[in-house]
Amino acid sequence: MSALAFDRVTFAYAGTEKPVLLDVSLEVPEGAFALLAGATGSGKSTLLRLAKPEVAPVGELSGTVRAHGEDVRSLDAAASARAVGYVFQSPDAQMVCDTVWHEMAFGLENLGVPEPEMRRRVAETCNFLGIEPWFRMRVSELSGGQRQTLAFASALAMRPRLLLLDEPTSMLDPIAEKNFLSLLFRANRELGMTVVVATHAPGPMLDYATCAYALEGGRAREVALEELRPATLDSLTGITHRQDGSCPTDGKTRHSDEKDVHPALSLDDVWFRYDRDADWVLRGCDLAVGAGEVRALLGANGCGKSTLLQVVAGVLGPRRGRARNACAGDQALLPQDPRAVLACETVRDELTEWSASSGRYGAAEIDAALERLALADCPGRHPYDLSGGQQQLLALEKLLLVRPRLLLLDEPTKGLDRAARAAVAERVRAAASGGATVLLATHDMAFVNAVAGSVSLMFDGGITATEPTDEFLRGSWLYRA
Amino acid sequence: MVAPRARAFDAVHAAVPATLFAGVVALAMLAVQPALTAVLLAGALLFSLLARGAAATARGLAWQLPLLALVCLLNPLFSASGSTLLFKLGPRSVYLESLAYGATMGGLMVAVVLWLEGAAAVLTQDRLLALVPRRARALPLVAGMVAQLVPQLLRRSRGVRASLASCTAAGPRPGARDALTRTSSLLLSWSLEESLERADSMRARGWESGRPRTAYRPERLRPRDVAALAGIAALLIVTATCAWAVCAQWRFYPRMSGFGPWWACVPCALLALLPAAAELAARLRERGRR
Repeated sequence: MSALAFDRVTFAYAGTEKPVLLDVSLEVPEGAFALLAGATGSGKSTLLRLAKPEVAPVGELSGTVRAHGEDVRSLDAAASARAVGYVFQSPDAQMVCDTVWHEMAFGLENLGVPEPEMRRRVAETCNFLGIEPWFRMRVSELSGGQRQTLAFASALAMRPRLLLLDEPTSMLDPIAEKNFLSLLFRANRELGMTVVVATHAPGPMLDYATCAYALEGGRAREVALEELRPATLDSLTGITHRQDGSCPTDGKTRHSDEKDVHPALSLDDVWFRYDRDADWVLRGCDLAVGAGEVRALLGANGCGKSTLLQVVAGVLGPRRGRARNACAGDQALLPQDPRAVLACETVRDELTEWSASSGRYGAAEIDAALERLALADCPGRHPYDLSGGQQQLLALEKLLLVRPRLLLLDEPTKGLDRAARAAVAERVRAAASGGATVLLATHDMAFVNAVAGSVSLMFDGGITATEPTDEFLRGSWLYRA
Repeated sequence: MVAPRARAFDAVHAAVPATLFAGVVALAMLAVQPALTAVLLAGALLFSLLARGAAATARGLAWQLPLLALVCLLNPLFSASGSTLLFKLGPRSVYLESLAYGATMGGLMVAVVLWLEGAAAVLTQDRLLALVPRRARALPLVAGMVAQLVPQLLRRSRGVRASLASCTAAGPRPGARDALTRTSSLLLSWSLEESLERADSMRARGWESGRPRTAYRPERLRPRDVAALAGIAALLIVTATCAWAVCAQWRFYPRMSGFGPWWACVPCALLALLPAAAELAARLRERGRR
């Protein structure tokens, strides 16, 4: 008997005629680690949610979805919660309680599990996942990776035989992603739990997966795992990377070392901490970025990349040392979450917001931006109705319309699929071609390889190394595209 | 330097410190008598020094002592009662009794604040919420969400304003009112959008499954907790009775009088010193076992 079976499933969202899923039939064997791969908007989440009626989208469904032989629509809420676990994408949004122990027990409380049994399940889950050290912590004190592990633990404590995960690692940094996947793998192999992961980036999961399905054009087909091995971003963008380490931006990008006489921005022995009693985030940080350069900032999560960008932008003032920014009056910063810059009701309003205040663009540029975003047909859509990738591109387009001389980007490709990453890369390259200086913080090495002329490695609150991208990648055994 | 952490009440059920501090705070608020207020203030200060550390206590006193002085000095200006004239301030007469009443009220306010701060150091929010009766189990959930979402909202608001401030190429920044409207509507949309996923996350884990909810209680009420509760309750009753007798006799106006027997203040002193004594005893016990 298969753990999860879709039998000729066709689904169209309410109010639309075009089905997002077309005659999908697939069977996930019991005990499998299955991948559901596809680009953003291909219907992965929809397919996954149809197996969980409590979170299924509203629309017209034909065909049947079975979990362990039972039609999921025949399960009541409690039976469904016991049979099928579900982990969502956002580490923040899916947290319900404010403490770790309460979040873990939340599902069990809902099911009316008696307290002794609940204690046992919570304890076993904590032991299995190694959560005990932070069991009494508040959820707000956890990192993104820990929160996602907690969401997983909360589902696991209910002991479902089938676990569905929707892009569970797309918001995590590479190390947190590997940690999370290893736990997922253990649950699959050691507990015999069937795991189905919807993802647009199957690469890191291929070593764990036992089978994979690709969703394209609303149809699903089983694919060999090797078919999902990611291509490098170079082939993704179709742009040949130069071997001299410079970014292919019409020769305008150059590498500036610390001795550069006239850098566009520089940090000189900058120290910064958020609070008088807190640890230093930046300690003696030196950085120089030349005008027209595209510089990537690499480093582990929490090493201070975002803080450095904010110090450069002048939002945070150094406690010691000096930050100089020749483009301080002509800059733009794209934060990690594009929603922090999306403030309007429609896509067009969003692109128009800074038209009058900047005086740098008008209706023609807005129309061109809408074309680039492939949203010319629906400029009245709410930005929140767009996919994560489209939101990111919209926020980037909004910033680029004001043609900043300095562009600061914080994790611009986080959570994006290949197509969106390629589009972001293309837009960054176009901005650099136009003469903008770009400083970007990222974990995405393929993206760095495609756009950055040079790389600075952050460690221990400072810049440890700055080299041209090719040279850096050749000399590194850790960072590879 | 790492601030000391309260530990006396770590090993007992949250109901024990909750009862103790609720009783002490109630007593501090209701017992308006100089000796009782002084005792409760001294107890609060001692516990704060032990449980929160000298630095945190000093930071608090930096605004609490001026508040005490202000209340003490303002009272004679509003209430020119008493019989012992100290001096005249223009048309107002300042009496010793009026000054003493102000000092007592100021001391009372500082004592209440210090006790609440001490209670907060001992009783974390989740410990307190776990005491909510079984029938009101949605309350901890709502309180927990608020506790989680308010700091998140403030953090995001800072992020949104920082993003806008750093986009200098977009031209002059909007005025304060426009910026506030922009930030609040943006945060509202953001939160509403996330609430959809949060609701899904709740439903996916059996929320509203129709079954009676059970509760995971991180702490168990043991016999010694019950004994401690009974002891504290008895002490509270004795103290309240004595305090009522002391306060009933005491008069600020026209002349301070009716102090009553000294031993009537002893239960109050015991109660006020109990948290600090428990904290001290816990530390000495730990040191002895190291």
